Amino acid sequence: MMTKESKRIIIVLVAMCMMFISLIVYISYFQIFKAEGIKYNSYNKRLWIDEEKTLRGSIFDRNGKLLVYSEKNEESQLRHYKYGRLYSHVIGYSYREYGKTGLELKYNNDLLDISVNQAINEFKNMVSEKSIGNDLQLTIDHGLQEKARNLLDGKKGSVIAMNPSTGEVYAMVSLPDFDADNLRNDWKTISENPESPLLNRATQGLYQPGSIFKLIPAIALIEDESIDKTYNCVGKTVIDGYTIRDYNEKGHGEISLPQALALSCNTYFAEKSILIGKDKMGEVAERFKINKSIDFDLPLKTSKFPYKDSIGETEIAAAAIGQGKVEVTPLNMLLIASTIANDGEMSKPKIAKSIMTADGEVKRTIDPIIIDRPIDRITANRLKENMVDVVNSGTGKAAAISGLEVAGKTGTAENSSGNSHAWFLGFAPADDPRVAVVVLLEEEGSTGGKAAAPIARDIMKYAIDNIKN
Amino acid sequence: MIRNIFKVKKNSPRNLLFIFGILSLSLLFVYQGEDIDRYTIMTGIGLVFTIYISNYILGRLSSGDNYIFLIVTMLISIGVVMIYRIDAELGVKQLIWTSIGIAIFFASYLIMRYIRGWDRWIYLYIAATYIGFFATFIFGVRRGGAINWIQIGNITIQPSEIIKLTIIFILASFFSRRDEFGKIKYSSYYLMAVMYSFILLSFLQRDLGTALVFYIVFFLIQFIYEENRKLILYNLGLFTVSGALGYLAFDHVKIRFQSWLNPWEYIERQGYQITQSLFAIAEGGFFGKGLGLGNPDFIPVVYTDFIFSAICEEMGIFTGIGIIMLFMILVYRGFKIAIGQENNFYRILAIGISSLFGVQSFIILAGVLKMIPLTGITLPFVSYGGSSMISSFIALGILQACSEEIYLKDDNSDDQGI
Repeated sequence: MMTKESKRIIIVLVAMCMMFISLIVYISYFQIFKAEGIKYNSYNKRLWIDEEKTLRGSIFDRNGKLLVYSEKNEESQLRHYKYGRLYSHVIGYSYREYGKTGLELKYNNDLLDISVNQAINEFKNMVSEKSIGNDLQLTIDHGLQEKARNLLDGKKGSVIAMNPSTGEVYAMVSLPDFDADNLRNDWKTISENPESPLLNRATQGLYQPGSIFKLIPAIALIEDESIDKTYNCVGKTVIDGYTIRDYNEKGHGEISLPQALALSCNTYFAEKSILIGKDKMGEVAERFKINKSIDFDLPLKTSKFPYKDSIGETEIAAAAIGQGKVEVTPLNMLLIASTIANDGEMSKPKIAKSIMTADGEVKRTIDPIIIDRPIDRITANRLKENMVDVVNSGTGKAAAISGLEVAGKTGTAENSSGNSHAWFLGFAPADDPRVAVVVLLEEEGSTGGKAAAPIARDIMKYAIDNIKN
Repeated sequence: MIRNIFKVKKNSPRNLLFIFGILSLSLLFVYQGEDIDRYTIMTGIGLVFTIYISNYILGRLSSGDNYIFLIVTMLISIGVVMIYRIDAELGVKQLIWTSIGIAIFFASYLIMRYIRGWDRWIYLYIAATYIGFFATFIFGVRRGGAINWIQIGNITIQPSEIIKLTIIFILASFFSRRDEFGKIKYSSYYLMAVMYSFILLSFLQRDLGTALVFYIVFFLIQFIYEENRKLILYNLGLFTVSGALGYLAFDHVKIRFQSWLNPWEYIERQGYQITQSLFAIAEGGFFGKGLGLGNPDFIPVVYTDFIFSAICEEMGIFTGIGIIMLFMILVYRGFKIAIGQENNFYRILAIGISSLFGVQSFIILAGVLKMIPLTGITLPFVSYGGSSMISSFIALGILQACSEEIYLKDDNSDDQGI
């Protein structure tokens, strides 16, 4: 018979053995179910060993101005973002802890000179312990980028400027931004900020476009000869029981398409959209990549115009003036202006110009490509003329530059916040466009003509004066 | 015939271990390649032979358990190989510590065997424990958050390693002579107060792991021997309450807990160590990356607290499970020794030491696996460190002595023997 003491000793021994067995069960469970999931955490330095061997390449602007570079220290390397905030959404960042974004992510393999072919990499590692990555030259003009950010400072929104014929993006700013050079200190405040500074509003923000979207029904009207272009505006109209008003309910009188665009007449486009029909309007919009994906160096959200859903006449009328269910990215809008400027040919937007070796030799150039031809030259030219009228005598007067003809379209978009978004879309010079620009001021509470047009004017002027192709 | 072939001869474990030692050393030499110096080779081969000879001598010298030393030398071999691979200099030092440890093992074994009357000096043990604590407070230096080191010249020692043993001696003395102590009113309460003062002192030195080891060893022995069963509940309740208070009052306790619950959220600071440990174990898979092919050096304090993670990275969790099982067998042998021991004092000592090995290894193993909150203590016989190695070998020597029949008239436990 066992004594009480022996019994208790056995109990303790059994408990001890259970402890050890639970360890074995846990470690096996961990290895089978958890290990794969955690291995790829960016804090696992093992993932970085190979990257650390290669000195990450530098990034330059279109004029060869150094923007980002890496520096070796004893055991690792430090990446310096010389203009911390200015390129936070374009170049992005590359940190072990927070991963990679922007061009740092897109051109990671080039910056590290990693070949897609694994065997070549193995060989390269065998031959040289430490190597140097390739440099990246951007299409961005540092001066314009700075100018754009200064103009936008203190506001929320985005500015993009590009060359309509080559697709080269000269400047892309999104505010609020963050300091890419100081991410380790700021990460908590950045990631928790309700204004989402990490969001690139130029490519990831979806906004109601307001009147700049009137270009879509305008194109539909130009293409359809059979629709009567005239209309008598009395300041408001009722469509399917819903009243659509003009700004201050001011009637524009007997007008045709050019005046309707110049004065940004809501009732005109609302009424005409019923004649155009939702399918035609949707078809025109889709030619401009709305509802379609666009290949770009940075991840780009798809603009939406859900015309195929069973939407009523009110919804069509609302869409024609850029309200309702239409949501667009600023970059997509810029492509519309750029296409009109480029005689109906849509250039593929790009930010990276070329990849160069560390010795400065050009390894690869990203050539301009025409990705689509949504409208013909005649339509484009008629729109161009109408858009010149907008700036000369319409809502976009603030965008006018002396000695140049500027084409543009303003937009003021109502939204759920109560403060309207201010838009301006345009290009200059109208007869030989060298720069197209989009300005979006999020929840600005002012009109596109007042708030956004002056910014666009300064950008276009700077680009024409300073950027040489 | 077949049975004869498979029959385990008495000396075959020793021979197998010898082969194991030679193999792991050669693996190390292959890894180290041409950089290896003659001194290291000599030390390495020296150790393999020392272990072999020690096992042989022990077989002759001791009529007791011949397996605990074998188990421990196996653990040491794995630990030394890993430490050497991470840092050759520390590896050689660990080899030297091991040799010293083995010498101390024999010394403590012989002292325990030939000196009698250990159960009569309870007040001496209590005094020594307090002195150890206060010496740490006065002369202590902070290392890795905890003040548990004393520096004398170039040598730093960790008194808490020795205190673990004096505490076991206190418990063994008390419970083996409880007829005597029973006459004192509330003696069990006094013991509990003394034990809690030790736990509190460890806690104040921010040595949470050691405090936990003290508590669990105390609780287990109390569970077996305390006849006033209410006290065990009190002990459990008191620990829970003080643990909760400690959590609320001390930020470093809170941090340990939070970095256990969700280390990924605090990965930059509090969660860094444990997540690095998990990365290493995850990278190792079942069979490991191979010795020298992983990156255990990415783990902070890898030689001591996180040696197990390093082993798992390069040798796989199969080796990890092997280590867990070695500890389990060691604990099992220890309890077997206890049950076989007639003398009460030595029996409690054996239980205490086996529990110490078991609890300490469990706390750190489960800690680096994120099964329980991480508290920095060493893995006995595997982690780098002289203090830990020596105190573990003293404990093993005592356990070895406990495994023998004690020819001593045990006047306190005539009526209680098994």
